[in-house]
Amino acid sequence: MNETSATSPTAPDADDRLLSEPSLLTRSLRLVGGNRSGAIGFVLVALIVFAAIFAPWLAPYDPTAIMTGPRMAPPSPEHWLGTDNLGRDLLSRVIAGGRVAMLVAAAALGAALTGGLSLGLIAGLGPRWLDNTLLLIFDALRSFPTIVFGLAVVTIIGPSLFTVILVVAITSIPIYARIVRTQTLALKNVEFILAERAMGAGIARILFVHVLPNVLGPLLILASMDVPLVIATEAGLSFLGMGVRPPTPSWGVILNDGYNFIRNSPWPVISGSIPIILVTLGFTFMGEALRDIFDPRLRRTH
Amino acid sequence: MMKRNMACIVRPEANNKVSRYKDHGRAPMPHHPSFIPGIGRRSFLKGVAATGIAAAMPISARIWAQQGQTLRVSAYADIDELDPGFYQNGYNVDVMNCIYTKLIRYKPGREWDWELEAAETIEQVDDTHIHFRLKPGLMFTGGYGEITAEDVKFSFERVLLHDSPVKSDWGPLDHVEVTGRYEGTIVLKKPFVPLWTIALPYGTGHIVSQKAVLEAGDGGDFGMNPPCFSGPYILEQWKPNQSIYLVRNPDWNGEAPGFDNIRILPMDDTKTAERAYEAGDLDFTRITLSSLAQFRDNRPANTVIEEYPSLYYVWLGMNIDNPALSDINLRRAIQYAINVDQIIDAAYFGEAKPANGLIAPGLPGHREKPTVPIDGNLDKAREFLAAGGGPPREPLTIDALNATVWKTMAEVIQAQLMQIGIQTRINVQDSGSFWTIGMESEGDRWKKMQLVLNRFSMLPDPYYATSWFTSDQVGIWNWERFSNPEFDRLQQQALSETDPDKRAAMYRRMQDLMEASGAYKFITHEGTPVMYRKGLEPALRPDGQPLYPEFSGTL
Repeated sequence: MNETSATSPTAPDADDRLLSEPSLLTRSLRLVGGNRSGAIGFVLVALIVFAAIFAPWLAPYDPTAIMTGPRMAPPSPEHWLGTDNLGRDLLSRVIAGGRVAMLVAAAALGAALTGGLSLGLIAGLGPRWLDNTLLLIFDALRSFPTIVFGLAVVTIIGPSLFTVILVVAITSIPIYARIVRTQTLALKNVEFILAERAMGAGIARILFVHVLPNVLGPLLILASMDVPLVIATEAGLSFLGMGVRPPTPSWGVILNDGYNFIRNSPWPVISGSIPIILVTLGFTFMGEALRDIFDPRLRRTH
Repeated sequence: MMKRNMACIVRPEANNKVSRYKDHGRAPMPHHPSFIPGIGRRSFLKGVAATGIAAAMPISARIWAQQGQTLRVSAYADIDELDPGFYQNGYNVDVMNCIYTKLIRYKPGREWDWELEAAETIEQVDDTHIHFRLKPGLMFTGGYGEITAEDVKFSFERVLLHDSPVKSDWGPLDHVEVTGRYEGTIVLKKPFVPLWTIALPYGTGHIVSQKAVLEAGDGGDFGMNPPCFSGPYILEQWKPNQSIYLVRNPDWNGEAPGFDNIRILPMDDTKTAERAYEAGDLDFTRITLSSLAQFRDNRPANTVIEEYPSLYYVWLGMNIDNPALSDINLRRAIQYAINVDQIIDAAYFGEAKPANGLIAPGLPGHREKPTVPIDGNLDKAREFLAAGGGPPREPLTIDALNATVWKTMAEVIQAQLMQIGIQTRINVQDSGSFWTIGMESEGDRWKKMQLVLNRFSMLPDPYYATSWFTSDQVGIWNWERFSNPEFDRLQQQALSETDPDKRAAMYRRMQDLMEASGAYKFITHEGTPVMYRKGLEPALRPDGQPLYPEFSGTL
């Protein structure tokens, strides 16, 4: 972290250097380049996202086609990760499962971020009674373990990809909303906001020009680090048979099927586990790197 | 066995006949004249009394074995009903076998037979009268005294008096006539063939204390609160969904059980039980057919593996009342598009055999072959489909349990139906949700249900298989909503038909009618492989179901 001392505001020539300081992108690239785990994280995430987007072209077989090869076969030139109990190509299923995972992560976290941001801002800027009511709802929702809540929802509306997204979004909203609320409460009485208000700025300007940019950074970092959690939840629900419908490939489904046939072949379990590990590592490393980029104070403490 | 995997099934309403079973099943049973009533009836009637007397065990014949030892086993679901008069599901009856006694019980072994338990003698006097004499000295717990003929009368008659959902087990029971402290006569309104195969040795045959039950309520269903016990064990502790702990009944004066304690661990997924066994947490467990070959090749240490045939029947059902399936041509097309061999190969690793109907080999009424070929016929399927106006516009749904074997079957069926252009969506569900899909008492889900993969378990009489598909079972266990007057008539006639050939023909005809409706594609009877520690001597029915009180040996 050589950059840490170089960007220290206490440096004697700070003003001069601020004038010539490189752009955020340049600094980010430098930071990532200088942070090995961050670089690994970015590369892993890029690969996973690439594979998810181009899954139909990358998968060597139709991931739902049965008997593409012998059942429970070990890795071979025809099937790089082997086959499952129905003779389906595991590599194709893993790639297609990545698409499901990314879709769930993007949709669920997108919904959670939007909901959390909106409700957090309302709670932070709204009247006291509304704040208290929303807090009560947030806490009530958080009191349910995600998987248990998921099982209950699945029982009521049935298992599907939408159900998984809904469960993850609902259980994540309170986390983001609480962070936004706290940030909003802290910001709304700081001097520059009070000054803006005194100068006649409307609530919309304060919200979009001052509050949002300040809360968005931490929120995105948190969301990035939550991606593995969301994917693990999806995999967990699918593992329990409560996630995506068969024969849609999902890492959890691959794990579940593999778990049941582990005596026959370990490859399905290995194939289902590795992408979950890689996603977790990738997004965690990337999240930490993002945190370093967006929060210099934390970087300094390193 | 009986009823299925449904720890949390909501019981049908009181006036719903029925139910018990699904899931776990096993075994074609070798024919046994004394067990398949009607065969050689005269000699059978003469022989019963003598056989009974000869088989009578002296009280406490078995030496107190395995002092302090606990037998650890798994169950495929947690108990949810301990009143034998209102029993549901085989896993409850497995526990009832331990905590209540009955006049006769299934005899462990490879052939279906029975032996005396609480009865000292039992004799079929004629087609409608069965005389019994209890062993003296058998006691209820809790100070409720000795088991008498009055208790037997009360136990059997309350099943009808309180309109038990399993009152059909007692069929045409009229009353029990008490002729002495220990003696009585079971009086039937008409001959009832399944009396010896189901009514007496199974759920409703267990004896409860009249005094204790009446003290606890009106004599009706006492659910999970047995007022006292009458068997070799008592229920010491029940931790819902965790464990059932039975300890030896100190008041029991009958044949001593083989173990001091039995710990039963409910495990929905047999694969989990396999791993628990490998980890040393179980002494006996059923194993899945898909694991059988692996266990054969790589046997866990100190383990015996045995295979038993199964009575279970697995089939794909179609809801006739669903608008999408109301055209018989579509249903027939589905029947012909399905290749059972492929399903069995995928889901059971080829370790099971295709079913020709509901009734397993060895039972009266077993069909030698189905009317729809086992491996299907795609050309014929396409013909039916064309006659029906082509594939449905919307994908059909296949409901299945969320265990791997069901998912696998559903996925194979999905692929097979795609071959004729029928699209499907698979709904996998947990057991609590699944086992109420077709029940009208549980809401409107039955209306949306279309294709459903189902499994019922069985007892060794064909009536037990067909009884769930009569018209009065529509919306209860008859989820296909199949209704046929000839089927209903034959069901009633076969109960009293003592000519075995005529009776078997009736059941074959009933299965033909089911298949002709297009609502059923029979898949398999599965099988029952089990494994247990060397030194243990498990007592199993011919279909591999455990009879825990008679387990013995050293662990």
